[in-house]
Amino acid sequence: MMEDKIRINELCYSTLSSDKPNTFETYVDQGGYSTWKKIVSSSMSKKEIIELVLKSGLRGRGGAGFPTGRKWSFINQDSEDIKYLVCNADESEPGTCKDRDILRYNPHALIEGMLIASYAIGAEVAYCYLRGEFIDDVYSTFKTALYDAYDNKLIGKNILNSNINIELHDLIGAGAYIVGEETAMLESIEGKKGFPRFKPPFPAVKGLFGRPTIINNVETLASIPKIIENGPEWFNSVGTKDSPGFKCFSVSGHVNKPGNYEIPLGTPFKKLLDLAGGMKNGKKIKAVIPGGSSVPVVPGEIMLETNMDYESITKAGSLLGSGAVIIMDEDTNMVEVIHRIARFYYSESCGQCTPCREGTGWMYKIIDKILKGNGTLEDLKTLESIPNMISGSTICALGDAAAMPVESFIKNYKEEFLNYIKTQEEVVDNNYTNNKEFVMQQK
Amino acid sequence: MENMNSYNIPGEICNKINKWLLKFPSNEKKPAIIYGLHQIQKESKYIQSAHVDALAEFLNVEKIDVYEIAAFYSMFELDKVGKHTISVCTNVSCMLNGSDEILSYLEKKLKIKVGCSSDKFFLKDERECLAACAGAPMMQVNHKYYENLTKQKIDEIIRDLDDGR
Repeated sequence: MMEDKIRINELCYSTLSSDKPNTFETYVDQGGYSTWKKIVSSSMSKKEIIELVLKSGLRGRGGAGFPTGRKWSFINQDSEDIKYLVCNADESEPGTCKDRDILRYNPHALIEGMLIASYAIGAEVAYCYLRGEFIDDVYSTFKTALYDAYDNKLIGKNILNSNINIELHDLIGAGAYIVGEETAMLESIEGKKGFPRFKPPFPAVKGLFGRPTIINNVETLASIPKIIENGPEWFNSVGTKDSPGFKCFSVSGHVNKPGNYEIPLGTPFKKLLDLAGGMKNGKKIKAVIPGGSSVPVVPGEIMLETNMDYESITKAGSLLGSGAVIIMDEDTNMVEVIHRIARFYYSESCGQCTPCREGTGWMYKIIDKILKGNGTLEDLKTLESIPNMISGSTICALGDAAAMPVESFIKNYKEEFLNYIKTQEEVVDNNYTNNKEFVMQQK
Repeated sequence: MENMNSYNIPGEICNKINKWLLKFPSNEKKPAIIYGLHQIQKESKYIQSAHVDALAEFLNVEKIDVYEIAAFYSMFELDKVGKHTISVCTNVSCMLNGSDEILSYLEKKLKIKVGCSSDKFFLKDERECLAACAGAPMMQVNHKYYENLTKQKIDEIIRDLDDGR
């Protein structure tokens, strides 16, 4: 049936159909840079571009889902102040590997998107900040693309004799999950530790080097050229009212064909699971983390009835986040999984806010104690009380990101925690009994 | 962090840092700290206090500004490490696909404990997801990606490194 066929890889992954997906020639052959050339030559107004992006309904693909056009409109266009665009290529939300594939296979879409965004917000300098661990292959692919675009006079001074000047620079980090938070990224670019900033002021008012700055995710920016070229109606003809367009999902875990799949938002999870080859070894599905490890876990049977869009996943009790779908089969030990997640947030908390710095440590240590068979019911109670103490009391969202999974794992899989504890209490009980017998024998 | 008597940043690295600084407003020097440390580490394998002091002097920033960066970002090694760095991702997606076994296989094969070095190898348990979840389990060798690992694949990778290829 026609309606059963899913439209796949039409936007950010469109070059994947080619043998040499990341070259300048491939991108241009597919109509790439025509939007940028049109904007430059016809001097399409900034307002018009922002209007088109607003109309498309594109939402930020880094995880927060904030409408991109609205973000751009926060820039005061009348101000003479220097403005910056920053592309967040610090992809590090556990389970997420979509941006790396855009950087590797379609870097020119990102570059064109960055140019259009810079122009729309009035920025003459743009930075693309790649995570440090990309320093080898990913970074060099991106740099090659950047130089090619410079060589073809699409970036730089007086672009194609238009009097438009935009410099686009590559930057590289050095390993810190927290730098994916947009204000921490600004700190890192400025050459400091990645400590998130207090907001307000928001970056659109006071950002990089104290100037108005817009920070967008790789996938968000790489989506821009085609949205302008084909029109917002092309984009939002797929998806739902609140979740229009295509979205890249990184599917990992216990599936036969893990991978990145760019599909219309609103696609049933079942179909995404089919695309990913179904469950490995014919096992049953137990649980899904639908948006990266920072979002609540959802039981498999609920996910099977859920569509992949912002509102449906919220209704299922979680968040769409970055689109990292981690799938777990029936044999998965949920205490082990949350132990791993808690360990991650504990080591990645930047330490600036006490509730997060201490809370992530408490959570990890208690889960570790439970997993090792030394936990008590009292420990589980303490563990349950911690997320609430972290959420909402920190500068950035890492605190919430650490708290939400713990809360949801206990809520959905309390039995498994209790099993670890029960064994322990039996042991305690036995020791007590043995001891009592011993004492009685002594008497 | 180890101490050594003195260090002069090689001219080639100085040139690279100066070129890097052109990306930023002319009064901003700190944005080159991360880049500078990367360049020094590439040459010296790990960061020592004389490196930090030399970079601070070169950029005309406070030493603490450079120390902070060296300590905060996980890619900077502050202790002596082996020639090749092997980082095995052990975050959720990789764990679900057997990364713990991969790590212990490497421990046995290389005869070093996680977090430790021999002359040749430094074995790292990478807690931060390395963004290659669809290719789990995976690892980086000197920051090159190796995905869908099996014991046989690891044997080949290590053999190549041993051969100096």
